[in-house]
Amino acid sequence: MKHPLRWVALAVGAVVAIFAVILAVNVGTDPRADLNTSRLLGKSAPDFSLARFDGTKVRLADLAGKTVIVNFWNSWCRPCREELPVLQQWYREHRTDDSVVMLGIPRDDSSRAIRDAARADQMEWAVANDQGAKSATLAYATRGQPESFVISPRGRIVGSVLGPLTPGTMDQMVQAGQQNA
Amino acid sequence: MTTSARRLAWLGLGIIVIGIVVGIAWPSAAESRSEHVRRLALEFRCVDCEGLSVAESATASAAEQRRDIGIRLDRGESDEQIRAAYVESFGENVLLRPASNGIGLLVWALPIAVVLLGGVGVFVALRRWSRQPRLVATDADDALVAELRTPVDDD
Amino acid sequence: MRATLGILGIAIGLGASAVGIVLLVRGVLRHDAGALRAGRACIFVVLAGALVAVAAMEWALLTHDFSIKYVAENNARSTPTLFTITGLWAALEGSILLWAVILAGYLAFTAHRFRRRLTDPMVGWALIVGLTVALFFFLFMAVAANPFTVVQGIAPLDGRGPNPLLQNHPLMAFHPPMLYLGYVGFTIPFSFAMAALITGRFGEGWLADTRRTTLVAWGFLTVGIILGAWWSYEVLGWGGYWGWDPVENASLLPWITGTAFIHSVMVQERRGMLRVWNLSLVIATFALTILGTFLTRSGIITSVHAFSQSSIGPWLLSFLFIVMATGIGLIAWRADTLHAPGRIDSPVSREAAFLANNLLFAGLAFVVLLGTVFPLLAEAIRGSTLSVGAPYFDRMTAPLGLLLLFLMALAPALPWRATSGEVLQNRLLVPAYVGATTMVFTLIVWTRDWSTVVGFGLAAFAVAAITRVTFVAVRARRRADATGWGRALSRTVAGNPRRYGGLVVHTGVVAIAVALAASGSFGIKREVRLTQGQSATVGGYTVTYERMRTDATAQKSSVSVDLAIVRDGERLGTYAPAISSYRNANQGIGTPSVRTGVFEDLYLTLVSSRSGRGRVTVGIQVQSMTVWIWIGGGLMALGTVIALAPHVRRRRVVPPAPGGLASDGPASGELVGSERS
Repeated sequence: MKHPLRWVALAVGAVVAIFAVILAVNVGTDPRADLNTSRLLGKSAPDFSLARFDGTKVRLADLAGKTVIVNFWNSWCRPCREELPVLQQWYREHRTDDSVVMLGIPRDDSSRAIRDAARADQMEWAVANDQGAKSATLAYATRGQPESFVISPRGRIVGSVLGPLTPGTMDQMVQAGQQNA
Repeated sequence: MTTSARRLAWLGLGIIVIGIVVGIAWPSAAESRSEHVRRLALEFRCVDCEGLSVAESATASAAEQRRDIGIRLDRGESDEQIRAAYVESFGENVLLRPASNGIGLLVWALPIAVVLLGGVGVFVALRRWSRQPRLVATDADDALVAELRTPVDDD
Repeated sequence: MRATLGILGIAIGLGASAVGIVLLVRGVLRHDAGALRAGRACIFVVLAGALVAVAAMEWALLTHDFSIKYVAENNARSTPTLFTITGLWAALEGSILLWAVILAGYLAFTAHRFRRRLTDPMVGWALIVGLTVALFFFLFMAVAANPFTVVQGIAPLDGRGPNPLLQNHPLMAFHPPMLYLGYVGFTIPFSFAMAALITGRFGEGWLADTRRTTLVAWGFLTVGIILGAWWSYEVLGWGGYWGWDPVENASLLPWITGTAFIHSVMVQERRGMLRVWNLSLVIATFALTILGTFLTRSGIITSVHAFSQSSIGPWLLSFLFIVMATGIGLIAWRADTLHAPGRIDSPVSREAAFLANNLLFAGLAFVVLLGTVFPLLAEAIRGSTLSVGAPYFDRMTAPLGLLLLFLMALAPALPWRATSGEVLQNRLLVPAYVGATTMVFTLIVWTRDWSTVVGFGLAAFAVAAITRVTFVAVRARRRADATGWGRALSRTVAGNPRRYGGLVVHTGVVAIAVALAASGSFGIKREVRLTQGQSATVGGYTVTYERMRTDATAQKSSVSVDLAIVRDGERLGTYAPAISSYRNANQGIGTPSVRTGVFEDLYLTLVSSRSGRGRVTVGIQVQSMTVWIWIGGGLMALGTVIALAPHVRRRRVVPPAPGGLASDGPASGELVGSERS
């Protein structure tokens, strides 16, 4: 073969060019920002048994038939503070709606810090302390905080959002829960 | 050193090396539960970290995951089942060692193929070079040299 | 004012690069000495411009000029002075500025060193290529990553401050500059390689011209990487020093190809072979340095999508593409004349060992590169991603590393050209026994983990081989000169500093290999909860929680715990791991406290101090042999310095005739690195 080196050089060049093209073409798309980021989507929601600060217990099985929004958060994460007004607004609007329940579960925080934050920020919805929270955060395969899930009345996870909730995503979540009865 | 003494010395070395291989390969005591947990935990990526394994990370989620691995082992789950369970929940990218099926096979096979190919190439090149016949003087060359060496008649 | 000054500096650098390129091209093509001199002067102007920009940025940082966006994002009034100064390289724009000034420095040094050979087209083209790289960086700064961008509207009263991890250890002052001195240094051999391809003189001339600079760059890169590992260990608190993180891998890749290059040039010097390989290696090393620094700053690997968030991505890709395309194109163009007539006589020779060495290094580079970019490729091809982490890299690099260790023991005993099996056996018998004995000892006393046993054995084998070869040479010198051992040693080393410097570097590598081998098998890690006065015993160390302290400065507030350490009844001191909260961070940043020992390190971290019942959670780790990594790094630096020393016997190397014939045979005699300057 004449000048095999030339062919080797061009072959290497072709590989590099292909790699560059793959990169360039795929740089534009960003599938990150949507609801369906959790692998648990469509699966039945893992049960959990948590305690609230007033001593009452919260079990997912007891909430069957209702749409449940589970919000993993803690007192020291910035995006959690960012989404707080959204949660508070939503709770005010749906306080009397019995078919929807919101539950805050601490992720990587101490009970004391959670209780202080919940009190200071007037989080009126059900907030669990850290007993049993750790196994719930693992069971739901959470990847950070804040992360929220919506569980249909039949007990299936039908939506998830990693990152702070917005009014738009909040409505989407509730809709998803109510549609998938 | 005489040839036979040298041979003996290398033979002795060979025996020692065999002994070492046996020593390494000898079945060892079964690993403890904590060793087992740690071995598995090294394979999973901690979700709150930048590429650290669950074994090495100090975060609460990693600690919980290590506890969970222990619970699963106590329940009798096998390594494969535990891996599958985590992949099921977290996705394939929770495994720090890519699975060897599917596209993951490439990342294991390609380097081995490259090194083997390169090795073959080097080997072939070395053989080719050492096979090239060394130039040996022929009779015609000797005659030429003799002719040139005879003193030229001076006029 | 400062922003204007900085932008002026960048503009000067940009302009002078462009003008310099034009002048030098004209000078080279038309043999115009005047243009060449003027072009050379432009290089110094570029340096001046870069220095002005750096001075402006440091001035802005030290005076907390928050009207400049970079200062507002990377500095705060409460930032200590040291970290204000190091803020120059705290983020992308500043680090590009650092790159540009170091590049200008290297170019100025090269222009000065080759000032009497300016009319040589090789030097001319090398300077042109170097200036083109500088042009890219200044253009990049001027257009896409301007460090002197001004804040819109009113300047904030206080800045955000640097990332907490970049302001809690003095190493921040050394690690990035060392890395950059290494990265940027490879631009010079790259420029000369391109010049060799352009001028058609791809003999050994360009190697001789750049040998010292390559070694200096390699030395800095080695030190930079070791300092990075030290940082990971002392600062990040996870107890490890290397995580096969994409950013770490990005710095390792040019080191791997650079090390391969340093070895394979010796084959080209002696046999005239491997020309194409060496040219490719140096082009690849340079391309990898570009890839490396941008990967560190752009986060492209952790997510393909981060790429698109700023415009630096397209710049990076384009520049890399141009570099690769030009290099490959030149090689393809010159393909018919590049092939060298040399051959290797025997598989049992040092040349063959270097071939094997390069094969293994190439394999190592391929593994690290593939593993690092594979998540990217997988995500691009099939949408979902996978992780390639430490288990993959450890498993794939261990055999290659062990084989390299083996070669390192073999190579000094192998003569050039060829040898008989007998000679080799004689030379290696004792070292082999030393290695085998070490393996037996390790098996009995330490562990049965195969990688540790084999690693220790090969390390002992290598050290014994190096010691033997040095001892034989020193003994011969002692007899020849009839002097004592000390003087014989210094004379031996001075007589061939390249060889003995290399052997010292190898010893450093062996030390690191020992530490790596030990880490595979031993290591205890526990977390314990202690109340005040309570103790826990881990790995023979008794740790007692004595008291907690809090400390607050403008920069940060910290909580630390005093831990008293006792081992075998002997009190070893008090160590204080801490957690600090910085103003601009969500979570506390842990600072470990390490007790360094010759065989073991005790690594203490404060995991949490938040318990209501006054209990703290302390992480206790016992690690083996970690200190040998730092010792090994020091030896490698020492060896590099020795290898750079001039030969005692000086021989003049005649420079090739300008514009003359291609020198395509092996250089006569031994190249002894005796440049005049």
